[in-house]
Amino acid sequence: MTRLGTVFWLVLVLAAGFTTFKVKYAVQDIEDELNRTRRQTIAELQETRVLTAEWTYLNQPERLAELNRRFLGLAAITAKQLQRSIEEIPLRAPAAPPAAPPDALVEASPGPAAPQAAATPLPVTSAALNPPPAIAETTRQADVISPPDEVSAGDGARPPTSATPVRLAKAGPVLPAPNSLDALIAQIAEAR
Amino acid sequence: MRSLQRQDENPCRPRHFRPPPPCAPVVDDEHATALLETCRTRLVAAAALFTVVFLVVALRLVEIVVLSGGSAESHAGRIRAVAPPAAPVRADIVDRNDRLLATTLDSPSLYADPRQIIDADEATRAIISVLPELDPGEIHAKLISGKSFVWIKRRLTPHQQYDVNRLGIPGLQFEHQERRIYPFGDLAAHVVGFCGIDNNGLAGIERALDGAVKGNAGPIQLSLDARVQFILHEELTKVIGDFSAKGAAGIIMDVRTGEIVGMLSLPDFDPNHPGATDPALSPAEAKERTFNKITLGDYEMGSVFKIFNTAMALDSGVASLTKQYDASHDIHIGRFTIEDYHGKHRWLSVPEIFMYSSNIGSARMAVDAGAKRQRSFLARLGLLEPAEIELDEVAKPHFPVPWREVNVMTIAYGHGIAVSPLQVITAVSAIVNGGVLHRATLLKLPPGATPPGVQVMAPKTSEEMRKLMRLVVEYGTARQAAAPGYVVGGKTGTAEKNAGGHYEEKKLLSSFIGAFPMQDPRYAILILVDEPHGTKESHGYATAGWTAVPATSRIIERIAPILGVPPVDEASPAVTRALMIESLQGKRIETY
Repeated sequence: MTRLGTVFWLVLVLAAGFTTFKVKYAVQDIEDELNRTRRQTIAELQETRVLTAEWTYLNQPERLAELNRRFLGLAAITAKQLQRSIEEIPLRAPAAPPAAPPDALVEASPGPAAPQAAATPLPVTSAALNPPPAIAETTRQADVISPPDEVSAGDGARPPTSATPVRLAKAGPVLPAPNSLDALIAQIAEAR
Repeated sequence: MRSLQRQDENPCRPRHFRPPPPCAPVVDDEHATALLETCRTRLVAAAALFTVVFLVVALRLVEIVVLSGGSAESHAGRIRAVAPPAAPVRADIVDRNDRLLATTLDSPSLYADPRQIIDADEATRAIISVLPELDPGEIHAKLISGKSFVWIKRRLTPHQQYDVNRLGIPGLQFEHQERRIYPFGDLAAHVVGFCGIDNNGLAGIERALDGAVKGNAGPIQLSLDARVQFILHEELTKVIGDFSAKGAAGIIMDVRTGEIVGMLSLPDFDPNHPGATDPALSPAEAKERTFNKITLGDYEMGSVFKIFNTAMALDSGVASLTKQYDASHDIHIGRFTIEDYHGKHRWLSVPEIFMYSSNIGSARMAVDAGAKRQRSFLARLGLLEPAEIELDEVAKPHFPVPWREVNVMTIAYGHGIAVSPLQVITAVSAIVNGGVLHRATLLKLPPGATPPGVQVMAPKTSEEMRKLMRLVVEYGTARQAAAPGYVVGGKTGTAEKNAGGHYEEKKLLSSFIGAFPMQDPRYAILILVDEPHGTKESHGYATAGWTAVPATSRIIERIAPILGVPPVDEASPAVTRALMIESLQGKRIETY
């Protein structure tokens, strides 16, 4: 009886010990995994910070304006092109006198009349389609700056790497604008 | 007992013989039983104690693991091996649309332990292949020096660090340090400010909110709009170029909240190189560049002050829009002569005085109201104490003590009192927004929030001032400010700069302060041009009407769509009725 009890407890102790160690190692593995993930997160966060800074750097308004001048030639929006609400857009004056007055037409055949009214070209659209002379002029200038073959040789979506942002006229001497965040950091390093 | 007795009883016991100790305690049966009983009781007691203790431990375990899962986990979380992702030393600064204005990047410096370098030749070649700007001879000399520490290159870019890591040369190490980067460069230099090499804020928001920036409470969002900053920058640069001016400054404020949407002072600097590393710059010029004209500048603003003078006269009830003042003769007081730049030499009504910017009329209006009223009104508008804003670079206004009659007259048209442009725009915002003075702020407010304000004048005065300011743009000195569709109103000011007690005719400070759209103002704008020179296109004029005013018009046309101000038909009845001055109805208005 006593011997049987001893064997039972011994087995129990061994089992408990084994389980404890197993659990301990499992926990250690999970902890390692956790630490790895944490380190990775830190690295990714750092990377994100760098990329955000770089993205912001590439989105400098000055640079975008220069790229626009080179490749797009978009002009600033004018008050004439802005309308507050759809009601303020005047409908086209009725052209040729229709067979029936408009009210009668709507009553007679509501189907075709409504889409026709909606499809009426709006003055705003036409104004946007026919760019004011200022836009045309900018476009011409852009052509002079960069010949069409160079534009097509470029990657299209991506500006060629040689397209350094050109600083606008400044009040005084300035350092040459670096063309990437790396260059900027390098420049700061030189300066210090 | 018996055996013991037997030994003792032994008659021939050896002399030195001692009986061996008994093998077992020789006790009485009754005595032994009692003793054993005591032992057993003690054992049971001890076992019970242990059982209780173990039971407590077990129960506690059950409680921790089963009953309160969450708290146990958080308890375990507290003892973790790796610290949470380290936030940078300084928080980011972003504009109102979350564009980065300042960020902190990890910038590693590369050093080597030459004793660990196995092959110096190959290591040099490899280093040069990724850092071609280094001198191979120098690197090689460093690597064979046998020291335990040599710098290879300070402040690598993240890409360079990656390249060096990829080389996998043992003995190359990085030292990490955080660097402040301003991706937009000079775009908001004076507002954001800059940091020293030890990452302490030395100017601008970086300095004034150093604690908050270091507190890591997430990015600090400014009220500035980077696009508006850029437009200001471009147009003011153009003005400086066109009129060979010494400098220029501009500020745009939301009149309903006091948020500053744009603030620029030219010439400016690149906060990435705040130390003015350009050897072509003299120290004085470098200082000039870091000087924020908007907050630190202290200027006699000239005719712009007629806004305050007229508002004071109207609000105190001394004058009304129909009242007339004699502007037919110059005023001589003491050694001063007050004259009009473009005199009409007749009696002028209050709207005419304002529209034609008559110094004489303004002076008479101020004298009519008196020094006490003038002083208290300017004080109420916050013009007599330093502006409150989230910057340390704030100027102290200069005004005469005591406030004599001659001062009353000159202050009426903005001389003899020097204030910062920030104070002026804050006060003008209150004048056009219905009379509520808001504190100027550079921090973005949550949308729809209405910050507390102080009612400093009657809403009726504000309405009349809006009409008068619109009149200046329609018929007066600022006709070139008319950005069609945006109903601009404002007031020009051309002041001669005071140099050591006397005014210099050739050194002008031309400014325009306006607001738009005038029927329901949303934004106030102040443009200042420092020492402009007349050109052929401006017919030799360097006054505000030819310098600051056209620039303002161009700026408003460009920023209004960005700020969400819709254009209106300026001839529409709703607009004209809101800005109509009854006393001038039916009269022919002479243009300036």
